[in-house]
Amino acid sequence: MAADTLYRRITDHANRADPYPLYAELREHGVARQEDGTYLVGTYHEIAELLHDPRISSDQRNRTNPDEFALGREGMPVSFIGLDDPEHDRLRRIAMRPFGPPHTPGRVDALTGEIAKVAEQLIDSFRDRDRIDLVDDFAYPLPVTVICRVLGVPREDEPRFHAWSQTIIDSFDPTPGTDPTERRRAGLDARSAMGEYLGDLADHRRGRQSDDLLTAFVNDPGPEGGFTREELMTTSVLLLIAGHETTVNLITNGMLTLLRHPEALDLLRREPALMPRAVEELLRYEPPVQLLPQRSPLTDVEVAGVTVPKGSPLILVLASGNRDPQRFHDPDRFDPTRQDNQHFGFGSGVHSCFGAPLARVEAQIALTELVRRLDAPRVVEDPPPYRRSPILRGPRHLLVEYGGTRP
Amino acid sequence: MKIVVDLNRCQGYAQCAFLAPQVFEMHGEEALRYTPLAPEDQSERVRRAAAACPVQAILVEEEAGPGVR
Repeated sequence: MAADTLYRRITDHANRADPYPLYAELREHGVARQEDGTYLVGTYHEIAELLHDPRISSDQRNRTNPDEFALGREGMPVSFIGLDDPEHDRLRRIAMRPFGPPHTPGRVDALTGEIAKVAEQLIDSFRDRDRIDLVDDFAYPLPVTVICRVLGVPREDEPRFHAWSQTIIDSFDPTPGTDPTERRRAGLDARSAMGEYLGDLADHRRGRQSDDLLTAFVNDPGPEGGFTREELMTTSVLLLIAGHETTVNLITNGMLTLLRHPEALDLLRREPALMPRAVEELLRYEPPVQLLPQRSPLTDVEVAGVTVPKGSPLILVLASGNRDPQRFHDPDRFDPTRQDNQHFGFGSGVHSCFGAPLARVEAQIALTELVRRLDAPRVVEDPPPYRRSPILRGPRHLLVEYGGTRP
Repeated sequence: MKIVVDLNRCQGYAQCAFLAPQVFEMHGEEALRYTPLAPEDQSERVRRAAAACPVQAILVEEEAGPGVR
């Protein structure tokens, strides 16, 4: 089929369960210009170069036809994921101050006990059953509980922020042939509501002591002066959505892959010390973020012999780079012991995933416990039904049957 | 366990400093300091850190003690 319809086919929900043949087709074309002037890149080395190229912008304002929705609105501007340095760097560093090194190096490590306890309690509740929905019963509640704890958001507010989050994610669903106007307006409203909610939570933490990010943002601004209220709102919305809509897919895609590769599952049950590497391989093989849709060049840029004009939408298909035979040996093979594995599961370069270390630990603990405690697990329906989004890709449900649970 | 970090490869992603903070430490935004001989009770964390390094700059040699391969 024609290369200029690739993006339409990739975003088509009918292809969600297995987009990998489309990615192989994309790699054969090198850079694929789409009917609407969007450029798709799916080869590893080109993606790596572009992710490290300062001429490639993440800021919609640098597009010839900026996406109105992605510009945010007054009072709720764009978060650092959609900004370039130095502004991106400044905001990211303020956000990092209470989350990781150099200022707070022990945060993620200190959470491992708590993550293990959440996983343990969830699996304990499977004891008297023989079938679970891995998504609703485990892979979703685990990271939600953790991100609430990290940010300082009440766990019982989950129905509220989950509804906002879904509306926001649906609003940037690029499925062609649907009128996005209404969805986008709803998305902006949801983003404002979520921002106000998080801003209010932070306001109430002023002058209080609590070991969470919202409290730290308002009480310990650091040498750079901290966030304005708007910046706090947009950054907190970003962290809450990213923290609870992505790890769910890493855990679910991960367990589905292990259930499809029983010898890998057995190996990890016998040797749990191999799990950190196995999670890296899952990030390569079935990455939760499949593509980055928001880049554009600041000047005409040549990519693999094709000139991508200044201001064009440039889409980097990370999941395709992860399967590029020019970079990875036998790329369509899932090998939990793979050594040379510099994947794009968390992107690369200055925008590489902020929460990567937390997601890694969550997935390692979650999968270790599932593998260890579920006796003879098997997938009920394969492929399972998938979520809409082609960007944040993962099953909506994953029914798993098992013979019993181990203590 | 013995650790070697190829500091020519290191790009300051700091994943190791999150995952094994008692062994790997960031000085400022980009400079890494680490303990070349990590105590055994850190081995799980060090394995996590080595696997997570986005540029695969961390080399770990497990201690060959009695009964260990």
